Amino acid sequence: MTDAPMKLTVVGAETPLWRKRMMSVISHGLLIGASILMLYPLLWLLAASFRPENEIFTSASIIPSAWSLDAYFRGWNGLRTSFGVFFTNSFIISIASVIGNVMACSLAAYAFARLEFRGRKIWFALMLMTLMLPYQVTLIPQYVLFRQIGWVDTFLPLIVPKFLAADAFFIFLMVQFFRGIPRELDEAAMMDGAGPWRIYWKIILPLSTPVLATAAIFTFIWTWDDFFGPLIYLNRMSDYTVMLGLRTFTDSTGLSDYGGLFAMSVLSLVPIFVFFLMFQRLLIEGIATTGMKR
Amino acid sequence: MTVQNVATAPQAGVPKTSVWRRIWQQDGPGYLFLLPWFIGFFGLTLGPMISSLYLSFTHFDLLTAPRWAGVDNYVRMFTNDPKFAASMRVTMFFVIFSVPLKLAFALGVAMLLNRGMKGLPLYRALFYLPSLLGASVAIAILWRQIFAGDGLVNKFLSIFGIVGPSWISNPNYSLWTLIVLAIWQFGSPMIIFLAGLRQIPQDMYEAASLDGASKWRQFWKITLPLLTPVVFFNAIIQTIEAFKSFTPAFIISGGTGNPINSTLFYTLYLYQEAFGFFRMGYASALAWVLLALVAVFTAFSFLTSKYWVHYDD
Amino acid sequence: MTFSLSRRSFLASSTAALLAAGTLPSWAQQSQLRLIFWGGQARADRTYGVVDLFTKDHSDVSIEGEFLGWADYWPKVATQTAGGNQPDIIQMDYRYIGEYARRGSLAPLDEYVGAGLDTSSFDEDQLRNGTVDGKLIGISLGVAAGAAVYNTKVLADAGVEIDPMRWTYDDLLTQGPKVSESTGGAVAMAPDGSGIELLFENWLRQKGKALYADGQPAFAPEDVTEWFELWAELRAAKAIISPDEQAIDTGVLETAPLVRGKSAMNFTTSNQLVAYQTLIPDPLGIAIYPATSPDSTGGHYRNSSQYFALSSTSAAPEKAVEFINFFVNNPEAASLLGVERGVPASAAMRDAVAATLDERGQMVVQYIADLGEIAGDVPPTPPASAGEIEVALKTKSQEVSFGAQSPADAGPAFYNEVIQTLGRTN
Repeated sequence: MTDAPMKLTVVGAETPLWRKRMMSVISHGLLIGASILMLYPLLWLLAASFRPENEIFTSASIIPSAWSLDAYFRGWNGLRTSFGVFFTNSFIISIASVIGNVMACSLAAYAFARLEFRGRKIWFALMLMTLMLPYQVTLIPQYVLFRQIGWVDTFLPLIVPKFLAADAFFIFLMVQFFRGIPRELDEAAMMDGAGPWRIYWKIILPLSTPVLATAAIFTFIWTWDDFFGPLIYLNRMSDYTVMLGLRTFTDSTGLSDYGGLFAMSVLSLVPIFVFFLMFQRLLIEGIATTGMKR
Repeated sequence: MTVQNVATAPQAGVPKTSVWRRIWQQDGPGYLFLLPWFIGFFGLTLGPMISSLYLSFTHFDLLTAPRWAGVDNYVRMFTNDPKFAASMRVTMFFVIFSVPLKLAFALGVAMLLNRGMKGLPLYRALFYLPSLLGASVAIAILWRQIFAGDGLVNKFLSIFGIVGPSWISNPNYSLWTLIVLAIWQFGSPMIIFLAGLRQIPQDMYEAASLDGASKWRQFWKITLPLLTPVVFFNAIIQTIEAFKSFTPAFIISGGTGNPINSTLFYTLYLYQEAFGFFRMGYASALAWVLLALVAVFTAFSFLTSKYWVHYDD
Repeated sequence: MTFSLSRRSFLASSTAALLAAGTLPSWAQQSQLRLIFWGGQARADRTYGVVDLFTKDHSDVSIEGEFLGWADYWPKVATQTAGGNQPDIIQMDYRYIGEYARRGSLAPLDEYVGAGLDTSSFDEDQLRNGTVDGKLIGISLGVAAGAAVYNTKVLADAGVEIDPMRWTYDDLLTQGPKVSESTGGAVAMAPDGSGIELLFENWLRQKGKALYADGQPAFAPEDVTEWFELWAELRAAKAIISPDEQAIDTGVLETAPLVRGKSAMNFTTSNQLVAYQTLIPDPLGIAIYPATSPDSTGGHYRNSSQYFALSSTSAAPEKAVEFINFFVNNPEAASLLGVERGVPASAAMRDAVAATLDERGQMVVQYIADLGEIAGDVPPTPPASAGEIEVALKTKSQEVSFGAQSPADAGPAFYNEVIQTLGRTN
């Protein structure tokens, strides 16, 4: 991060200073403009959480006519179980999923990207196939399966598949990145007598921080945002996740607390945003910044 | 099995074992690394997939046992189902427009953000925010605020004296509002592009600029070729996801696919058939037709990839 | 910290799963019942209140309740049923009760009537509503009827006057334009009702026809054409909102034109009045669906807003029936429940509730009572695939209103679609 701007000065040595300044102003201008477009809906959501209930659907302005924290208090205890419980459940499931996905998917990806074995292409194709079938039709057979093992009503159907690399997206992602790591490194390590495990652990993983961080971020956010899995497998309100809690706020046929819904929606964004901020600095480490020479 | 062989291999010297040993040395590590995936694939994934394939040849109403139907479901789909045709058209349109636009947008912003400028982490976070919202109920409400008849877009247009329609509920435009939503949530391909850009060794650019190569030339000669594995990944994944796209249409149309089926995505139709109308057999057949279609597309992409995707190996 | 927490909840969860699956011996003779219903927080509070009341007197029963929004409720119930994990007591809707009952997922309650289930003070039509193919399946949790909910202030400001129990489609045609004129086109008197199945059914019944009879359509293609022409006329007169605005309504409360301030009225059911009122600052009134003439009768009927039904796989059906009986016959329970699910189906409970109601609640009760003279018989449980036809009517109405098809063509087209859908074996 620190040396990148320095390099730019070297690269741009022949361009005059004023032109660089102007370019910088233009790109910041563009980015700020785009950010506002991106952000407006979120600001509206934030405003809605502070608004009086009967103003929510009639006003498009960002500034509420009156400010109130009521919705937050109402929402937090609005369902039979406090949102604190839902947050805890979401944390447990999301963190466990991150650990499982990063471990299991990187193992499988290493095999597909770097090791030679018979049947590799067939297994890879089968793995990709699992991505292509809409989940709606495997839902019931899978439910029956988990029920036979006795896992319905627990977090296990939501977590265990992650430790078994069931999400082919991440395997494929890591394969693409692992293949970009120069082969000479493996070969040199092999000369020194390193086996596949050592190469995986000492070379591939350390050089793959960006993609592992990407996988961690996506897993956390997508698990957090998922509501269909929890909807189907969790029956007791004390096991509900935040997303399921939010869905329960709105019943299309009856009375719904929209203020509470928006307040809790805002709160539900906080952990995933913080997680993103924490891990995003890892996104920029890697070959480019660790100064790898080819 | 293979683990046992490893234990017995050292003390055995008969030729038969050495065959096993050769096999182990060649294939063993690969299969060991794949072990968790194999357990998951055979234990959790494959069974339900085969079940759904079987169900696609039955009439299954969820509540009573499936009845064998042969190829009835598939025949009906291609001969006597206007909604199948309509949903296929909607989905194709969505894929063709949303995927390239989203990827171009994601790549453009990633390039802009990769210039080592000040405030990079902040912008990156801001641009990712829309994707954080996922499929929250709030999205449906937000999108109405923007694209309804008295929404923001029309307020903006009215400055120029233009009276716009209610974009979100007009059958001519409603699909476009979903395409805009897909593009707006461009965060994940952007992050993947950024990670890919970071993997390109900086010294290549230094060498190129010393040779007097312009920025434009550097992009075509260095950035794009070295980024192809990531471009390839994003293109494949985004296409598969777009074909399977369900939640945006579900929350915005309230699960109906209206107006006039203009947002009846393929998987939304499949979901209606499965859970709304109790036709899981037919829904399974729909799913396997989609799988076949996406598989052909993916296989084709992999076949052509050797001509344009640049791996280091 | 997180780990110990997660392990603890794993253990707790799996023990509960074992208990629910019945793999442990039923020590202590404790019956564990599961109850599932859709609704919002207000309904949940009332329902759990009754659960607590019941379990206080019945220490041998514990009830695990779960509630979800409407859209999430049905896939979950379907998955649980298909997966052999159905809750004991299931809240049902008239569109789904036939589907589940005819496929053997719900147990008939006839054997319990008079033996644990007291239906003596129940209205006859409410019992008939819950009957599928001659068997009593669902116990009505509330009487509801089709109703037009309207914004009294907007109508008064525009100078529109209607007689809530006698107003007609002609009134809508002649007075409706006043609302558009007085608001500069921003608000119309009514939404476009051409795609609302309940309204179409009501109109057919006023003409002496019906939606279905013996699993077949009980109307002719010409009726559909006439229906769409009626609405085309209203649309042209600006008595109703534009197709663009109507299409925003996805059936979710907050998308209703009345809530968004686009129309002064919504065609819904009587039990929804209270929910609408929370989202609208102006006082609401309640009226019948428009009549074809002021003295027309037989269009409306007293529907059931929802039922409780018994799973056919329940391990403790007697206990479950005991709870259902308590829910609909205990005065204390009734006063907790109010009219949130509709007006109680038992006359005795109506009296118990009456004293506790607020103004809107009383309006709903009064409306149901006033319907007495103009309501007709309840229709039989709709055939399978009726839900699909409801969706098809909405889509067809959009094709007509957006001009993709003429009413003359849409009539036969819709009729054929109905015949095809009903004839489909699956």
